[in-house]
Amino acid sequence: MSNFKSIGKDTKKIDALSLATGQPMFVDDVSFPNTLQIKLLYSPHAHAIIEDIDTSEAEKYPGVKMVLTYKNTPHVPHTTAGQGWPEPSPYDTWMFNEKVKFVGDRVAAVAAETEEQAVEALKLIKVKYKVLPAILDPEEAMKDGAPIIHDEPWITGAYDPKKNLAAHIDIRVGDVEKGFKESDVVVEETFETQYAQHTPIEPHVTITYLDEYGRLVIRTSTQVPFHVRRIVAQALQIPVQKIRVIKPRIGGGFGTKQEIILEEICSFVTLKTGRPARILYTREEEFISARTRHPFKVKVKIGAKKDGMLHAISLYALSNTGAYGTHGLTVASNAGSKTLPLYNKAENVEFISDIVYTNMPVAGAYRGYGATQGYAALEQAIDMVAEKLGMDPWELRKKNHIKAGETSPIFRALGEGREGVTQYIQSCALDELLEKGAKEIGWFEKYGRPKRNGSKVRGVGMSMHMQGSGIPLIDMGAATLKMNEDGSFNLLYGGTDIGTGLDTVAAQIVAETLGIKPEQVIVYASDTDLTPFDVGAYASSGTFVSGGAVLKAALKVREQILEVAREKFGEPDSKDYILENGKVISPKSGKSITLSEIAYDTLYVKNQHQIGATGSFVSPYSPPPFAVHFVEIEVDEETGEIKPIKYVAAVDCGVPINPNLVKGQIIGALVNGIGYALTEEYHFTPSGRMTNPNFMDYKIPSTRDLPEIKVILAETYEPTGPYGAKSVAEININGPIPAIGNALHDALGIRLHRSPYTPERVLEAIRKSKEKKLEPVDPE
Amino acid sequence: MKVKYIINGKEEEYEIHPGEVLLDVLRRNGHSEIKGNCYLGTCGACTVLIDGEPHTSCTILAAKVNGKHITTIKGIGDLNNPHPLQKAFVDVGAVQCGFCTPGTILSAYALLKKNPNPTDEDIKKALDGNLCRCTGYVQQVEAVKFAVKLLKEGKDE
Amino acid sequence: MLKLKGIEEVYYPQTIKETVDILRSHGDLAEVVGGGLDISVFPNPRIKFLIFLDNLNLSYVKDSSEGIKIGAMTTITNLIESELIKDYMGGSMHSILPEIATELLRNQITIGGSLGKREPYSDIVTLLYGLNGKIVLSDGEWDEIVSINDFYKENFKRLLKERIIKEVIIEKYTKDYFFSMKRYVRNATDIALFNMAILLKTEGNEIISARVVAGSRPKPAYLMQEAGEFLKGKELSEDLAEEFGKFVEEHIEVGTDTRTTEEYRKNLSHVYAKRILLEAMEAAK
Repeated sequence: MSNFKSIGKDTKKIDALSLATGQPMFVDDVSFPNTLQIKLLYSPHAHAIIEDIDTSEAEKYPGVKMVLTYKNTPHVPHTTAGQGWPEPSPYDTWMFNEKVKFVGDRVAAVAAETEEQAVEALKLIKVKYKVLPAILDPEEAMKDGAPIIHDEPWITGAYDPKKNLAAHIDIRVGDVEKGFKESDVVVEETFETQYAQHTPIEPHVTITYLDEYGRLVIRTSTQVPFHVRRIVAQALQIPVQKIRVIKPRIGGGFGTKQEIILEEICSFVTLKTGRPARILYTREEEFISARTRHPFKVKVKIGAKKDGMLHAISLYALSNTGAYGTHGLTVASNAGSKTLPLYNKAENVEFISDIVYTNMPVAGAYRGYGATQGYAALEQAIDMVAEKLGMDPWELRKKNHIKAGETSPIFRALGEGREGVTQYIQSCALDELLEKGAKEIGWFEKYGRPKRNGSKVRGVGMSMHMQGSGIPLIDMGAATLKMNEDGSFNLLYGGTDIGTGLDTVAAQIVAETLGIKPEQVIVYASDTDLTPFDVGAYASSGTFVSGGAVLKAALKVREQILEVAREKFGEPDSKDYILENGKVISPKSGKSITLSEIAYDTLYVKNQHQIGATGSFVSPYSPPPFAVHFVEIEVDEETGEIKPIKYVAAVDCGVPINPNLVKGQIIGALVNGIGYALTEEYHFTPSGRMTNPNFMDYKIPSTRDLPEIKVILAETYEPTGPYGAKSVAEININGPIPAIGNALHDALGIRLHRSPYTPERVLEAIRKSKEKKLEPVDPE
Repeated sequence: MKVKYIINGKEEEYEIHPGEVLLDVLRRNGHSEIKGNCYLGTCGACTVLIDGEPHTSCTILAAKVNGKHITTIKGIGDLNNPHPLQKAFVDVGAVQCGFCTPGTILSAYALLKKNPNPTDEDIKKALDGNLCRCTGYVQQVEAVKFAVKLLKEGKDE
Repeated sequence: MLKLKGIEEVYYPQTIKETVDILRSHGDLAEVVGGGLDISVFPNPRIKFLIFLDNLNLSYVKDSSEGIKIGAMTTITNLIESELIKDYMGGSMHSILPEIATELLRNQITIGGSLGKREPYSDIVTLLYGLNGKIVLSDGEWDEIVSINDFYKENFKRLLKERIIKEVIIEKYTKDYFFSMKRYVRNATDIALFNMAILLKTEGNEIISARVVAGSRPKPAYLMQEAGEFLKGKELSEDLAEEFGKFVEEHIEVGTDTRTTEEYRKNLSHVYAKRILLEAMEAAK
């Protein structure tokens, strides 16, 4: 490992200096003359039929060029989910629907010369709604007699729309009922997680225009350019070949941009008017009309033997997918598929999930993708089992976690919309993570010994996690590498760097393989005309899948280079040749040639050909990264305020190709998770309107909200990943809710069943527990 | 109405609506290096320096700061000659998506002018208005500390 | 996006008299602008004329025989950096100011703007009200001094159509005075969801007089008379702190809003009242 020249180095992110000096790199940093500005009209009702919509006044408003409603736009059922085809999400929406299904659902769009004119024109659109009873609670939505949200005759891919079920999962291994009976200790509890939003600092923004050939060009802030192309083609009923999607620098995605949200509308305006068009979400629209995290209610039941071995685990996940089913099935699947295999010693496992439509904001992909919600429940139930057994929860986890060489039937049973793929763990440093993390936080000195200082009490908590690296046998990426005269290379690949630094990692992989510096790799990515395919940035697939494709292409190019060198050296075999410092060296003869010489020769002089190759990568493997989190908190018993003091994230992501970028992913994810655990939530009126769509009242962490953060990397070598790497992007957002929940229990002996753990909720729980202590004990 | 600013040392005159905020005026006139979208002063991506002091340009009335010196990220360094803060943010890995970066660096720049030897707490306080969803801030604070070192070294040369 | 579409003209008066003349001539259609945060974030569509106060030289913190005079255009950052404020009231003001909002907003929020707008969640209002600050109103010819208490008893918005806030004066309290303020925020840069400021005059351990101000209740800050009365003449002690906490909780006027509940605010009022008294006890030692 220490022999690597580029792998494992803190190579500067190739776009960092440009970004730090304010170069125009984002979608909206380039403007086109004659651009129409688009603004959207939203439903004030949670559930209503649009009986009539009169846009005549709006159309007459000065500057207005076009008004769109369901009346004049294509009625093509599709999903907005940026997933591989065929998408495992229901086709339950048109571009504009005849029925609005949540407060914030889109009703119409105005394209005008200026944003101000568009906003004024929106006010002139007259909509006649027939308000229907709204259903805001998923449990209510499943009951007999509940209003049916998706009663469209054309809906496909939903499990049972008449019962408001967008999807349903039922996976059983062994016999959990028998398992619970055989267990010495059984714990059952329900945990609820809340609506949350990604709040990328750059909102969704799309600009479309026609190029010189009349082809539609979509310049958009997206995680999934190729899915955008396909789904826009579908929704507008135009051929894929007429569309080009360009992804410039993206100001954060975290899952909310794994959707085709604004591109169809913007494209439609451009196609109809011939003019460039621009649309973006205000921060308020981001909160209300973009995507959110699925609120879950998870019932966990765990049975264990008195020696601490887990024997039966059952998870029932009730997922509120909001008004449309995008990502509904797959997020819920992950709540089981990314959690249960961690505890593979339990032979009896059950995962059942109902994914329910409600007249609430639409949930979609969000970093963690169901695993976050699953772990919020599971990792706290694990602590409850430890408590009942009289065992240190660290011990319980150490005894039960999956190890290298092992598998779990859940991998195959629970895929993403279809059957999964059996995985055998090939790299796992969980024991090292448990050891090092515990030492760093002082676990064995602190756990079970809450420290009191006046009304402030300190406690510690932990949680353990796995995730995946791409979706096995589904996610595919491809890369093309070609050589230039000076020994530099153009890397054209589909991988989608949304700020994570994937482009830099890709350059490092090429550099390592070809014996050059990463600076000599010119990366151009995610342009559907110029780069080969990639599913996009999600499922933690960047390094593993996109990087895997880059490696493949680089290895092919390496072979080509060595062959040319061999011929030039007049030697029979290039097997032991070394690529180093931009040279090919034959160690036996001492002969050497620079890459630049090879390039000039092959481009201009003899046997001319372009040294270059395309590699595609899809894998039956999805090697899980692992993480163990520890947190020390201080609770103010009189106010209920929780302050995280120290947070330790011990992570195994295989070989960290760029440790600085890996650290950035770990810390960024866990700080987001701390916000999710303590302050971030949506508030609603009884009629389903979201009331805090701004940063004043939706609180995300600032620099002054941080605990002391320690990152520990335990390196393993993952044989299936490029240079031993696994993913790291999502896993760490899963830690804070359960770790903090467990720490609260350590400090005060109370457990909250709803996140976020606001002071109001904590204080209420403290009060309730005090009342319980005063009550006479009920014999059960 | 017309207003005049001295932007990154250069005098510029713009035609504005008297009710406009500075962010819109600047971006409309080619200053795409200033980001932002919340229009409540809450995210900090629109940060500029006005007479050296960091402000959210989305809450500054363009007319109010008529005649003042405005510094954007382009005013402190460029690709060929980055300011030590820009260099530090790159070296330490404090730039991920980069959308909050110009605003954050300007806040740090103003801090270091006032206080060349800030503590961690000072740095966090100076950057508390620049929200970042990517980095979790730790590397940003490290970058500012590294910049302090670079600036000191620069002075010693 | 242009939010203040209705603005037709802006003014940059050089004197307070000029300012007030323009205000009077436009009546309800004009508004003075301190930092400008409030008007850009919560635009009033009726306003057609803006009057910028930047040229009136009202950014200062000066010492005087009447007390410390803080000009209306002084920002929170200016106050934090002021030598006069550093040690004022044992440094309690200097330590709470950097907690408020964010650096970017502290650079913009003015004292005059805060007092004039009287946002219910304003920490500056609670702070200065707790210190029994005096507002100096001016029409350019005459200065009128009015306590914050009296200012808010009036229809102060009407008053501010004819005058502007020139400065606020806080008394240079002697060593027998103690001041502390507490606030509830959801995270560090939040607006206050509840705040409380207490000013005590003590002789040894005996409380001679007390001012208890609570704000963001969710209503704007008010002077809790009965709490001040309760403390008069009592001896500082842990028991008193607990009793006082209970008293405040029972008598405070708080409510529920979208941000937090009446019940929680009541609880906080108890805890803050108690803790501030305990702090006073510590300080008296």
